[in-house]
Amino acid sequence: MSTERTSLSDRELWRSLAADDVAPVAVSDMDFAAWLEGRLSEAEASRIDAAVTADPGLRRAALELSDVLGKPLPAPPPRMAVRGQALVGFDVEKQMSRGPWLATLLPAFAMGFGLQRGALAGMAVVVAAVGFMLGGGLGESYATQKYASAESSGVTLSEPLGRDTTNELNDLFADAT
Amino acid sequence: MTELNQIDLRALAAGSKRTWDAFVVAATPLINAVVRRALATYRLSEDDVMDAAQDVFLRLCANDFRLLKTYDPARAGLSTWLAVVSRSTAVDYARRRRQATTPIDEVPETALAVEDRHVEKLKIPDGLLTERQKLILKCLYDEERDVAEIAQLLKIDAQTVRSTHHKALLRLREHFKGETS
Repeated sequence: MSTERTSLSDRELWRSLAADDVAPVAVSDMDFAAWLEGRLSEAEASRIDAAVTADPGLRRAALELSDVLGKPLPAPPPRMAVRGQALVGFDVEKQMSRGPWLATLLPAFAMGFGLQRGALAGMAVVVAAVGFMLGGGLGESYATQKYASAESSGVTLSEPLGRDTTNELNDLFADAT
Repeated sequence: MTELNQIDLRALAAGSKRTWDAFVVAATPLINAVVRRALATYRLSEDDVMDAAQDVFLRLCANDFRLLKTYDPARAGLSTWLAVVSRSTAVDYARRRRQATTPIDEVPETALAVEDRHVEKLKIPDGLLTERQKLILKCLYDEERDVAEIAQLLKIDAQTVRSTHHKALLRLREHFKGETS
């Protein structure tokens, strides 16, 4: 039996045809939102029209979103907002409002990044040098103090240990013999 | 309560806790509605709706608000963009849960129909219909939507949908005149 397509109903005619669907193209969230709002130029809109025509998933998304956005929104469960708010803490804001901690010590820090880096490097060198000297001085004075107190209590001790490895090894072998 | 369009986006992207809290309160009704709708076909629980909504917020603030920073107010309203992001996040969530089941009442008849492979479908030649005409015919006949829904989707009036549909069918009938099935 042959039937002329022109005698078919509109629906039957459409279903007897194969629309030339191109492979779905990627549509960004931003483009899709602009398309949903009807903000795109004719050429841009045509590209998204083609993607929505070809991709049933995208078409369903468009129809669903258009429906949700066109209706009054129901009240959400209060817990939903509380959980969402907990994702961002106060720490971020504190850091943002306070700025770099060095800025409180050096008001001129805001002058430039290069200056900041230079000052930081200088301070690091000073801290390292002071720490090195302080550590060495304390070690030496401790050894001298220990030797003096041992001598006054009659215990025989070798001279305060040298801080170099050779002397330490010599002292160790001397004790062993 | 602050509206979504009153949110200071710069402060939000900079990580201001106060702005984030106001944003969450303003955005939650929309995110809830979109997520709930997207997950409806997957028959997931209320906890899943909560978790999917949390995924949306997480995506928005992750990596120093990277996604939020991609939003361009010159191109679309924040509500629409947020709805798009919420839906795609909810669908991703549902796919991860792998419980995709669709109530049979919600499936368009065309999707359930078994295609008769003996019926040869004629290809619509390139350029015969515009992309807009094809989209309207797809929505009407494949998605079984009414004219009002399509008008709302395409931000055009119902009369324009009807006339676009009419012109498209005239072109198809004219082109396939005399073709037999």
